[in-house]
Amino acid sequence: MKTTSHPNRFSRHTANLAAVVALGLVPSAPSADPETLPFPVITRFENFRMEQGMPSHKIHSVLKASDGRLWVGTWEGLLVRDSKGFHPITTADGLSHKMILGLAEDPTTGDIWVGTMRGLNRVSGGKVKAYLQTDSGLPNNVVYGVDVVGDHVWVATAAGTGDLNTRTGVWQIYDHNNAVMHEPWCYSIKGAGSVVYIGVWGGGIVEHDPSRGTFKEYRDPDADFHYDLVPDDGPVNDITSWLTWDDGVLWQCTYFGFSRFDGRRWRTWVESKSPLPSNFTQFVWSHRKVAWIGTDKGLSTTDGETWVNYSVSDKGTGLMEIHRPSQPVEKHTTDTALAHGFVLGVWVDDQEAWIATSDGLSHGLLSAAPGRRMAAHPTLPNTPKTSTDSHPNNITAP
Amino acid sequence: MKRRLIIALATAAILVAGLGIAWSRADKTIRQNARIRVLDVVHGAGLRLPERDREHMQDRSGLEDISNVSCRDCHGATTNSLPWAQPRPRHASPSGLAVSARGDRLFAAAPDTDEVIEVETSTLKVLRRAALPGRPTSVVLHEPSGSLLVVCRDQDRVARLDLGTLTEKESVFVGLGPVGLAIASQGAIETTRVVVANTLSDDISLLALQPLREVRRLPAGREPYGVATSADGTAAYVANRLAVMPGIDRAPASELTAIDLVTGRISARHRLDSAHLSEAVATLPTRGWILTPMVRVRNLVPITQVARGWVMSAGLALVTPDHSSVIQVPTDEANRYFADPSDLVIDPVRERAYLVSGGGDAVSVIDLQRLHLWLQSASESTLRTAIHQLEVSGDYVLARIPTGRNPRRATLSPDGTRLFVSEYLDNAILAIDTTTLKPQGRIVLGAAGLDDPIRRGERMFTWAGKTFQGQFSCRSCHPDGHVDGLNYDFDGDGVGDNLLDNRSLQGVASTWPFKWNGKNPSLEIQCGPRFAKVLMRTDPFEGQALKDLTVYIQSLPPARTRHAQERALSPAQERGRALFYATETPSRIPIPTERRCTTCHRPPLFTNRAKTAVGTRGLNDTTDHFDTPHLLGIAASAPYLHDGRAKSLEELWTLYQTNDLHGVSSYMSKQQLNDLVEFLKTL
Repeated sequence: MKTTSHPNRFSRHTANLAAVVALGLVPSAPSADPETLPFPVITRFENFRMEQGMPSHKIHSVLKASDGRLWVGTWEGLLVRDSKGFHPITTADGLSHKMILGLAEDPTTGDIWVGTMRGLNRVSGGKVKAYLQTDSGLPNNVVYGVDVVGDHVWVATAAGTGDLNTRTGVWQIYDHNNAVMHEPWCYSIKGAGSVVYIGVWGGGIVEHDPSRGTFKEYRDPDADFHYDLVPDDGPVNDITSWLTWDDGVLWQCTYFGFSRFDGRRWRTWVESKSPLPSNFTQFVWSHRKVAWIGTDKGLSTTDGETWVNYSVSDKGTGLMEIHRPSQPVEKHTTDTALAHGFVLGVWVDDQEAWIATSDGLSHGLLSAAPGRRMAAHPTLPNTPKTSTDSHPNNITAP
Repeated sequence: MKRRLIIALATAAILVAGLGIAWSRADKTIRQNARIRVLDVVHGAGLRLPERDREHMQDRSGLEDISNVSCRDCHGATTNSLPWAQPRPRHASPSGLAVSARGDRLFAAAPDTDEVIEVETSTLKVLRRAALPGRPTSVVLHEPSGSLLVVCRDQDRVARLDLGTLTEKESVFVGLGPVGLAIASQGAIETTRVVVANTLSDDISLLALQPLREVRRLPAGREPYGVATSADGTAAYVANRLAVMPGIDRAPASELTAIDLVTGRISARHRLDSAHLSEAVATLPTRGWILTPMVRVRNLVPITQVARGWVMSAGLALVTPDHSSVIQVPTDEANRYFADPSDLVIDPVRERAYLVSGGGDAVSVIDLQRLHLWLQSASESTLRTAIHQLEVSGDYVLARIPTGRNPRRATLSPDGTRLFVSEYLDNAILAIDTTTLKPQGRIVLGAAGLDDPIRRGERMFTWAGKTFQGQFSCRSCHPDGHVDGLNYDFDGDGVGDNLLDNRSLQGVASTWPFKWNGKNPSLEIQCGPRFAKVLMRTDPFEGQALKDLTVYIQSLPPARTRHAQERALSPAQERGRALFYATETPSRIPIPTERRCTTCHRPPLFTNRAKTAVGTRGLNDTTDHFDTPHLLGIAASAPYLHDGRAKSLEELWTLYQTNDLHGVSSYMSKQQLNDLVEFLKTL
């Protein structure tokens, strides 16, 4: 296996060579010590493509539910994996459309909410109930993002954000007519304590406080489409392709870079000036203040300071780059690789990572927890976890 | 001569006086006739009215063009004066029952009189009556905590009563219209769960007992009704009364919802094909069975098949121990039906089931061992079609025990020797010796109320004895006087044509004419000869019985919905209200009178009592014109349109609106449509 080396790191990590080999990495030099990283790294990939039962090449989204079942949204329907394997759920089962765009779990009921190219679906007790723009208050059938906050299901659609109160059945629609929203095309939505963040295509990020009925817009201060003229001054771009929030930190994907907002200050990254492998970021999952970013050039992980990027070489082998602050980059090849470098969705906890790619689903085994040596970030005060990014075991007793 | 003159003058005077009286009487008659004519003004006639009446109608209707305005829209049609808004007699009718662990006490909920009643079972005497507002409907005992839990259906709550004093100690709000109630204990009080089926909000509440609080709300099927829990307290099962809307030409299916009480989540939704009206559920732990009574409905088969028993029949749906399939078996006989199964009680020791027939006034005793043997001997194909083979019920039905009128719920003494059945419309509880299968006695809670025409009418409404072989009652299609959510192929206008959506009878008073074609001018005609010809296949309701039946129907208030009970309109509802009453679009374009919502759906009943063509004629329909339905309680009566093609209010305009004929709505944004729907749900 081909490796590359960086001599500056040699002496420091010789002692960790055995551990690194055990993790499945074949280092160019013994400098790659994942245990000194502030977050876990993926030590091995296990891939599921069409040969392994995936119904399509493209896997759009993935979610591991609190009951341990894995939900996989694909180009050709929904899959659920239990102890007996993968089971398809298709339009024949009542799914409103085969193309799955987003997944979220209601942490209380365990119901899975599924955004598709034509409608929203609730999977409950093995049955599917569809909500369409024609038979319900759903703003639009193209449902990109979905999240569950308390009794409310929030959806980001091609014609505004929808809020379904599951107890009353009442829908609210927020768009350019009644909210601070540059346009109604919403790509992503995420509950964040008492507020909801809406990723608006071309409109940056909208922060909505449902209890107060207020809206606050975060826009790119540069107002420049292609360049982040002044770094860290706000969202890197107004084209919000995805966002997430966890533990007080908001992360924004755009097609022109990546951003983080910790409640006080913004950080922005573009590929020409940072380890971000590509400006084309289209999905982000956050866990313990670490962002797992899906790009067109692989998977990127960062706490804002250290970066670990996973990609696939032309020969199909795995590549891992470790970028530490003020340190030379460490490059490694790995025995196993992502199913594909075009990453569309991610789900991660302390033990494992699931990655939806353009050609299959990848299961990533994580290295041992690194002792939580995380970069310190200021957090928003008193913002409890309420959404699906919360740890799945945080379910109250029935 | 003089005398003749006097006689002539007197005669003339008499004649003049007579003429005057005659003229006066004639004038009065003319004026009365004119008044009647005015009151009878319907479409178009208003144009020929005197100027004063025209101005009056224009002023009151707010419409320049009064060609569609009827005097009846206002006169005699305020909701406050309608029969369902009037006070009515109350009766001590027992509903849910519970027996103490020692078997010495029986508790009954009496929803009509807002009471909980305690009975001594040894003497069959009433010991205590406790007032409990909110229409107490179901009861369950939790003796370790000294509690009697009671569902108060009209106040959407569960109350905990102290068993010693029968006084209310605490209460918790649940979903809308709770009915079914069961308790599941896994040992510790902390893990004990109370399971509540909320019929009107289509969900299930899980309650903790100490303190009484809701810990979870789970989505159910449609109209969850009956609840049972497993013996080990780890699972609950909920029977759903209505089928999930299948679509206009598809067979319906309802759901038996299974809940894992350890995780508090739905574990399965068992599908009951072509079945609905499951109002109870019970388990047989020894065989791992879950059983629910059901009605096998064949609504897409023309009603001409009533005489062949092909419209509806009762049975049991059995979820197999591995939960992989549901088997339906009949409980009726080939020429004798026991309609409207309302409760199911299982004696696990004797392996018997007691199935209550609310429309057949009987309890069927089913030998579950025999049923097991029959199931074992049956082939797969036999099992698939068993529900249609009514003669097989003789293999496992042991007896039919007659009861009083409209038995609803039942409970078994802990030792299984006595069955108590609430005879709802007799205001009594029947005690049955399960060894002899004979009645032991009756606990009379109050006079039967036969001097009350509403009560007499309800007895007609719920009685299947008037239909051919007792196949069904009015209630079979109109549970609680409401809808069953299905569409039917009536043969009066041709077999296979004109599938018709079942319309609610709630809030129907003064909304004549009836039927979707508007041909029945009164409930007397609708429920009398019309009902007999199309459905009963026997002699019609007549005379006093027919009068009582219509009085009862008119006493039914509109469906209670979540939206309607909220007093103030939300901002969205206010916006929707403005759209409903709009005479012009937001762009100031006038909306033609005949295409305004209020022209046809005019308050206070939200109907103009006329047939209207709104572009909804289907491929198999023979007319464009359909009766304008009232909108009171419309949120609860899906599906919509004459053939039930619209499964939600939104679909009226998103899928089935043609050229703005059903109200001008093409200018509306999705937000505005949502607002309009939210307002409609408040009616």
